[in-house]
Amino acid sequence: MRLVAGIDIGSGLTKAVVLQAGGGATPQVIGRGTAKTGVQLERAAHQALEAATRQAGVKLVDVYIATTGFGRYAAPFRDIQATDITSAARGARFLIPGTTTVLDIGSQSTRAIRLTEAGRVAQFKSNDKCAAGSGSFILRAAKYLEVKLEDVGDLALKAENPQPISSVCAVLAESEIINHVSAGVSVEDILRGIYDSLADRASLLLKRVGIGSEIAFIGGVARQRGMIRALAGRLGVPVRVPDTADEVCAVGAALLGLKRMEARESAPALG
Amino acid sequence: MRYAAGVDVGSTQTKSVIMRDNGDGTPEIVVRGLVDTGANVQKAAEHGFHQACREAGISAQQVGFVVGTGYGRYKIAFGNAQMTEISCHARGAHFIYPNTRTVIDMGGQDSKAISVGAEGEVLDFVMNDKCAAGTGRFLANAAEVMGLSLDEVGPLSLQGTRPVKITTVCTVFVESDILSYLAQEKKAEDILRGVHLAIARRTVSLARRVPLEAELTMTGGVARNIGMVKALEEVLGVTLQVSPDAHYVGAIGAALFALEKMDQSFESGIWRGAHATGSGH
Repeated sequence: MRLVAGIDIGSGLTKAVVLQAGGGATPQVIGRGTAKTGVQLERAAHQALEAATRQAGVKLVDVYIATTGFGRYAAPFRDIQATDITSAARGARFLIPGTTTVLDIGSQSTRAIRLTEAGRVAQFKSNDKCAAGSGSFILRAAKYLEVKLEDVGDLALKAENPQPISSVCAVLAESEIINHVSAGVSVEDILRGIYDSLADRASLLLKRVGIGSEIAFIGGVARQRGMIRALAGRLGVPVRVPDTADEVCAVGAALLGLKRMEARESAPALG
Repeated sequence: MRYAAGVDVGSTQTKSVIMRDNGDGTPEIVVRGLVDTGANVQKAAEHGFHQACREAGISAQQVGFVVGTGYGRYKIAFGNAQMTEISCHARGAHFIYPNTRTVIDMGGQDSKAISVGAEGEVLDFVMNDKCAAGTGRFLANAAEVMGLSLDEVGPLSLQGTRPVKITTVCTVFVESDILSYLAQEKKAEDILRGVHLAIARRTVSLARRVPLEAELTMTGGVARNIGMVKALEEVLGVTLQVSPDAHYVGAIGAALFALEKMDQSFESGIWRGAHATGSGH
């Protein structure tokens, strides 16, 4: 039996999973933990990992550790690290086997990844230069509209007359939002407009890598139903969201770690 | 005495300038007025204009011609004409510094570079209104994250000797950069210097798309930030002309156009007063 942890040190949240594998069975997530990343990346990684091992009922020393995400080099206790792109691809194909394209929207980045038939990364495009289209756009809007982040997605579904947001910039959009509010537009209609604008940007990115036939939508923003609806309406192919959309990269990293572990074990011992 | 006004309805503040032509072809600024634009653009324009009239000790009817400019110019119900802020900044900068050949305007929510001819006419321009980098909005946000007022960040940045490296010009993402530098106990002045330099580089790379010929004049609300002026000068390697009226340059340009148009309308008999009396019959 092998134990592998995947830690995704993202800009907003750090996610950790513990995977149990061996005996020819499909690897299973037996523990998960999260921590707010903040500015001390190592501490966040450690906290999330500890929570995950505690839930799994395993000891830290027995776990092989793979990290990913923008802070993947910040955890000195790791055994290996993988890029977010590779991890996203691996995790998405594992959780949703029909995936041809991955859309990953996190708090500070948006990525479209096209997979090969074998599940490797064929091509990817990302925007991490600017908050347009990322989760922080929604976060700021929610703050301005005084809506809880977890309510945003469902509220948007109740929109009756969505109001478009023309600003691409997350900051300049705030003025537009304020104008909508003062013109008496409902919060639901504004939120739906925001999702429409984000979905437009995501579609552009997806088109650059090729939409394929089945999209796995992952990352923190994939938990929001309003966004799923806006995307599905635009892309014309199924948009599938794993139950635990924000831990897909952590699972992918753990799977990559597992592969490395197996390769190392089967290699002849040196010296 | 003949008065004309320029009202520059910006995204953040509305600037009103009343000018007077002394009859010898030398226009003179009578009053400068400033109000926050807020959500009701039309009201801000009206409020700003009337406040300026009161300050000038004249009635709104005594103002022969009003030119509106800025992003909210079409919301000025009482205006006689509208001009783009590009033309107005070029004209206003030329009025203050006749040798101006390039204007760098950094406003509340956009920034632009304008190539200006010998007569104050626009030869070429580039504009960024898609992204908050290089605008007052960026600096206001950075100030907020640092727990400082907008007026403090510029002067404080000048004290920075070891500017931190800022890797993003996104107003949202720079917050994380600033917070992590604060967590590393970097000095506020070094962080701010880094922030100002990053925005200056970004603005200059936009501005280089027009010929950057001397003299360069900086206009717009951000020109009041000495840290930004110095950072731009460092990146450009030249000195900028910055008038105490930098914030009002668009409105001054609009008022100058208004004086000119008033003359033209007067000659053709459709000046504001005649029009108003005539409409009753």
